[in-house]
Amino acid sequence: MGILANKDTRVVIQGGAAGLNAARRMAEFCYMIKAPLNVDAFVYPPDSGKSNEVPYGNGLLAVPVYKSVAEATAKHPGINTSLVYIGGDRACAAAMETLNDSKVQLVSMITEGVPERDAKLLGRHARKLGKTFNGPSSIGIVSAGVCRLGVIGGAFDNLVACKLYREGSFGVITKSGGLSNEIIWICSQFADGITTAIGIGGDAYPGTDYVSYLEKFEQDPQTKAVVIVGEMGGDLEERAAEWYGAEKRRVKLLAVVSGFCQESLPKGMKFGHAGAKEGMKGEGSARAKAEALKKAGAIVPETFGALGPAIKSVYDDFVKSGQVRPIPELSAADLPKLPRTVEEGMKVGEVIVAPLITTTISDDRGDEPCYDGYPASELINKGYEIPHVIGLLWDKRLISKQEAEIIKRIMMLSADHGPCVSGALATIIAACAGIGMSQAVAAGLIMIGPRFGGAVTDAGRYFKYAVENKMGVDEFLAYMKKNVGPVPGIGHRVKSVRNPDKRVQELVSYVKGLGIPTPHLDLALAVEKVTSAKKDNLILNVDGTMAAVLVDIGFPVECLNGFFIISRTIGLIGHWVDQRRQESRLVRLFDYLVNYAAPKRREVPPLK
Amino acid sequence: MAKVLEGPGMGLMKKWGIRVPDNVVVSSVEELSKLGETNDWLKNSQLVVKAHEALGSRYKLGLVKVGLDLKGAQAAAQEMLGRQVGSITITQVIVSEMIPHQDEYYVAVKSTREGAEVLVASCGGIEVEANWARVKRLPVEVGDTPPGEALEALAKEAQFSGPMINKVAGFAGKLFACFDNEDAQYLEVNPVVVRESDGELVALDAVTLLDADAKFRHSDWTFPFAAEFGRAYTGDELDVMAVDSKIKGSVKFIEIPGGDTAMLPAGGGASVYYSDAVVARGGKLANYAEYSGDPADWAVEVLTDKVCSLPGIRSIIVGGAIANFTDVKKTFGGIIAGFRKAKEEGKLNGVKIWVRRGGPREKEGLDAMRALRDEGFDIHVYDRHTPLTDIVDKAIQAQ
Repeated sequence: MGILANKDTRVVIQGGAAGLNAARRMAEFCYMIKAPLNVDAFVYPPDSGKSNEVPYGNGLLAVPVYKSVAEATAKHPGINTSLVYIGGDRACAAAMETLNDSKVQLVSMITEGVPERDAKLLGRHARKLGKTFNGPSSIGIVSAGVCRLGVIGGAFDNLVACKLYREGSFGVITKSGGLSNEIIWICSQFADGITTAIGIGGDAYPGTDYVSYLEKFEQDPQTKAVVIVGEMGGDLEERAAEWYGAEKRRVKLLAVVSGFCQESLPKGMKFGHAGAKEGMKGEGSARAKAEALKKAGAIVPETFGALGPAIKSVYDDFVKSGQVRPIPELSAADLPKLPRTVEEGMKVGEVIVAPLITTTISDDRGDEPCYDGYPASELINKGYEIPHVIGLLWDKRLISKQEAEIIKRIMMLSADHGPCVSGALATIIAACAGIGMSQAVAAGLIMIGPRFGGAVTDAGRYFKYAVENKMGVDEFLAYMKKNVGPVPGIGHRVKSVRNPDKRVQELVSYVKGLGIPTPHLDLALAVEKVTSAKKDNLILNVDGTMAAVLVDIGFPVECLNGFFIISRTIGLIGHWVDQRRQESRLVRLFDYLVNYAAPKRREVPPLK
Repeated sequence: MAKVLEGPGMGLMKKWGIRVPDNVVVSSVEELSKLGETNDWLKNSQLVVKAHEALGSRYKLGLVKVGLDLKGAQAAAQEMLGRQVGSITITQVIVSEMIPHQDEYYVAVKSTREGAEVLVASCGGIEVEANWARVKRLPVEVGDTPPGEALEALAKEAQFSGPMINKVAGFAGKLFACFDNEDAQYLEVNPVVVRESDGELVALDAVTLLDADAKFRHSDWTFPFAAEFGRAYTGDELDVMAVDSKIKGSVKFIEIPGGDTAMLPAGGGASVYYSDAVVARGGKLANYAEYSGDPADWAVEVLTDKVCSLPGIRSIIVGGAIANFTDVKKTFGGIIAGFRKAKEEGKLNGVKIWVRRGGPREKEGLDAMRALRDEGFDIHVYDRHTPLTDIVDKAIQAQ
């Protein structure tokens, strides 16, 4: 049984991200008791028309979001309860809207920091309509084994630890959210657990009071006793005492009140919930409340710690008198369990996962990325530079200072080659068409291939093949002619022996000056000598030079195009930014630059 | 609850049609002199100078001077400004026009569960304290406005007669309008006086408590709120308030001088039970603190730093009930970071730390706390199976 939150409770949640979080908690409870989700809809105007995903067991439920409560209750006629979890400035309007909906009988508000005047207005309006407004600042209402409204009860493990999957005999009413959970726990450890626990909120003027809930508990045959956790301030505890003392009640009442420390604090110093404030004449003090409750016949332990044993003694009496029959405990294996996520399962060694991919270069799981095991910050602080990072991520080795210098020079020489080359032109045309940076730069990168910048890898591959097989130049050229075709890395569109490529000269003279063995570069230069003698422009081009040098310093051929790609990306980004800065307009080819070789205009024959 | 000083409080009352004396709030004598050049009333009226701080018993402390001309007011301001009263330094004085009068009355509006209560008495000043039975009350339900006839009946009941009935009822009606429209929690005018010059009612003093939660709908609340417990907020308290205003959830901190048991518990409800337990066991609270609503770890770290900085503490109570949604591991992460910093600064020498907590990720959080033992902390960690306040018993025994 229990009160307020029951098996027929169907909920609309008014709120955004916080509301969705509450729905997730409620779904965990529903899953635990093997009931369908009791949240039918959300109302949150900014997201109306969308749906929220609520995890339930091992699946996801889509719960629709509406603009208004009226729309939600029209689409979901079962809705009879609202949970409000929206900002303090909008909470009052939201709760009013839902109180005014004829289908909603109970509104519970989690929102904290609601103006007192708003809370009073909501309380009054609900009473006038014969409805219940619970809160503000209420953690919610939970009826064990039946229904959870709000986030009361905490995480799934706690729900199970507190035996909330089945009904006990104790009702709970608290102002404090954290303590509601504590009392639920105590009731499950010292007795058979709860029927319903209600957080009424710690504000000065909650929408309901202990008495209206005590009356409901009195009518609920399953509830044998009620535990109240009070606080100094206001008169709700005194009213509860008055109710309890007025006539013989079926339920037993236990209560604790906080705020005794106030007596020994400097005058005027107050703390705790907003509602915890003593009246001018000492009314509302913890002592006055505790005494009123005691006088009315309630059991009032001296300290919070004594509450557990007091509950136990009440429970033992119930068992002795036959009012309550002890519930056999579930074995650990039979306790409800939430399906584990894969991560949780792996942590406890319950599942094996075949990895989808393997990485051998990089790990981002710590506080900073590690490249081939070396933390980025340590590389920086020990003087390493970009070429070293390339070495680590492309070839898994820490290259030397000299090798890094070669790479730096390669990058500087190939960073850009003017606006006319295929890559830059593509990026510029894209930029002028208003395309964003990543797409425009990608358009330029797409141009890199066998005829533009993309011969580095192939050049490296064949130079390496020749060196490995100890081929002479003639032998190599014959092999290439027979099996491959033109030698990659040899030949240039505009440069020639008489119009040499300064970039090639620069790189060759630097590397040769280092005095390191360069068998591939030597081969490439020997090849050039032969080819350029045949035809003026069959010179060693920049792709071929880079390839030979990079293979000489040990880079694998697969990554060689990468050196051109990364270098030229610097230029492509520059071109895109340059066009943007100039606010360049759309460009198109002039028709006089096109040879229109298509058939002349002619009549279209009838369609057959 | 937010207390507002007399100057801005009177400003709010004036907005709703209540007559108040001309007044200025100044923080230097020069400011007063300048205002004197442009405001005729300062030159031509008899003046009252009062310290403009959250202080009780200003008369007794000599912080109210009456019957002054502008020169006298400047001298009085000179004397009061900068004076130290307890923990409060007087930084402002309010200079108002003196209202010659005979009779003094009392009118207040107080928040109740149903709405409000209008309080009226035909005596005022200190006399009303001694004659509380002469205060008559009119309950008003929230959303309602008290009708003129009801206020007149209230005035009659409070022994007003003749034309004064109407005047008192009108005054009370305006005070109620101010209360209702300004999200007030308490408004008190004591005394209300009958101005000799024209027989009109004037508010000579204003006690104003506003609902800070309603600030979002009052863009004209540009004044600061004053400390409520008769002393200025300390630097550390202000630091924590600044953090509190920035985060989801809350962190709270109030210092209590002379205590030896420091509090660092979670939850607005549980924190008071922990404080009760310390007092009940004969311990001396060094502070009140509380964090709740799943606050950010850095906010809890700031709070921890302040708690560890309290002088002369011997124990720290890191208590808490079983949280609903506050992440124990995350918030404990903030506390642990704060503890480590404090230890490095030598603040935790000889301090025992007592922990009890439950809630989401309680195991991870409690394990992390326990691990502090290996770093040399004198820390004692308990889980949900130890009743809420038992760590206080253990802490006080250990002291």
